[in-house]
Amino acid sequence: MGLPIDSARKGRPPASPLVEATLSLVQERLRDRFAQSGQDWDGFRVSGAALTKADLADVERRLLATGHRFDWSAGISVAERPDIYKSRGDGDQVDESFSHPDAPQGEPDETGRALAGVGDNVVRHDADITGIARFIRTNERVLDYLTNGVPPGIIAVIDDSGGTLTAPIIEQFTGVICAGGTVRSHLGILTREYNIPCLMNAKIAGIADGDTVTIEATAAAKTTEDYQQGVDRVGRVWRLVQEEATA
Amino acid sequence: MINATKIDERDLVFHGVAIKRHAGAAAIAALVGLPEPRVSTLLADAVATGRVVDTGDAFILAPLTRVALEARYGLHFAPLRQDKAFENAYLAFERVNKTLKQVITDWQTISIGGNKVANDHSDRAHDEAVIDRLGEVQEQVEPILAALSKGWPRMNFYAQKLLAALEAAEDGEHEWVSDIRRDSYHTIWFELHEDLLRIMGRVREE
Repeated sequence: MGLPIDSARKGRPPASPLVEATLSLVQERLRDRFAQSGQDWDGFRVSGAALTKADLADVERRLLATGHRFDWSAGISVAERPDIYKSRGDGDQVDESFSHPDAPQGEPDETGRALAGVGDNVVRHDADITGIARFIRTNERVLDYLTNGVPPGIIAVIDDSGGTLTAPIIEQFTGVICAGGTVRSHLGILTREYNIPCLMNAKIAGIADGDTVTIEATAAAKTTEDYQQGVDRVGRVWRLVQEEATA
Repeated sequence: MINATKIDERDLVFHGVAIKRHAGAAAIAALVGLPEPRVSTLLADAVATGRVVDTGDAFILAPLTRVALEARYGLHFAPLRQDKAFENAYLAFERVNKTLKQVITDWQTISIGGNKVANDHSDRAHDEAVIDRLGEVQEQVEPILAALSKGWPRMNFYAQKLLAALEAAEDGEHEWVSDIRRDSYHTIWFELHEDLLRIMGRVREE
C-alpha cells in the first residue's frame, strides 16, 4: 500500500542528500505503518499512530549508521552528543566497536608480540603477515583510499563480510581481518582470489588504529566440515607492543 | 520493456551503482538496461548534487544516497515482493547460492596433506571436476532466472552473462571462473545475488 505522497514528487529531488535520505526513511516508516493499520488514509493520518518519537530516533540511527555525522553550529551540541556530530578536531575517540568480548588476550612474549585475537583463516599461506592495522569504517577513509590509493603495508580491519565499502580497494591491502562472515563469504572469496591473507569471523580486542599487527596466515584454513562439525580451528592475531610500553 | 516494478530511472541508476559498487557508466547502463547517454546524464547530475562520488574512472554511491535508496526499495519493489512466483524463484536461488559458494571455494583451494592451500591450477582433473560442477550450477540457475525474468525481464541479463562466463571457462580460459577484474562467473553471480537481496529487502547471510 502506498502513500498519497508517493506519486506527488515528480519535480526535482530535495537539494540536500541529507534531506532526501531523511524524507525517504520517514516515508518508508509511514508506509509500513499505514499498511499495518488497515485504515484508510483519512483515518490513519489523524490516528496519532503514524510516527512516534522512537521512529524518529530510528531514522537518526540509520542515518548515522551510514557513517554520516551532522554538521553543528554550536559547540555545545558536539560536546553533548559527540557521537552524532562531526568532530571538533580535538582528538578522535577510540573506536571500541571491534572489541569482541570473547577475544583471547595474551601478555607480550620476548619479541614484544601480544595475542590480540583469533579468526578463521580463509586459506593457508607460506608465511605470516605483519602490517599496520587500519579500521575501515568511515566513508572518508574509503574515499581517501579510492582516490589516493592504499599506502603499502596496511592490514584492513573490516566488519562487513560482503565487503560493500571495501571491494574496489581490497587488492591493495596487505592483509584483512573481518569481524563477520565465514571463509566462504564474498570477502573470503575476494581475498583468496587476490592471494591476500585474511581472517574471517574474527574476535579481536585491544587493537588500536595504527598498531602493528601480525596475522597467522600459516594457520590451517577453516573448512566447511569444520563449520558443520563445530571444530574450533583458528588463526591468531598478535599486536606488537612498543618497548617503552612494556619496560 | 515490461516493468513490473515502479522504479524511476534515477533510482534505477542508483540501484545499478549500488550493485556494481565501483564501475563506469557503460557497465552500469548494461546492468540496468538503460541507454548509456541517459545513465551518464543522471550520473553527472547525481555527482553535482552530492548523491554519487566520481572516483575518476568509476562511480560509487554516497552513503546517504545508499540509505535513501534502500528506504525507497519497499515502494519500488512491492509488486515483486508480493509476487509469489518471483519470491519462490528467489528462495530457490538462495539454495543454489550455497552450492555456488562451495564450488568457488573449491576452485580456489586444494587439499594437500589435509590442508587447504591456494589452488595453483596444476591439477587439471581437480579443475575440470570443479568446472563440471559449475555447469551443474548453471543448469539449476537457468530455470530460476527464467522465472525471475517473468517478474522483471531485466533479470535475463544475468542469464546471458553467466552462460558466457561458463562457456569461456569450459573453453579453458579459467580466469572466467572467479577473476574479480572481469565479468567472471562469480562476479556476475555476486551482482545477481546483490540485486535480488535489494529487490527482496533481505540481507546477506554470511
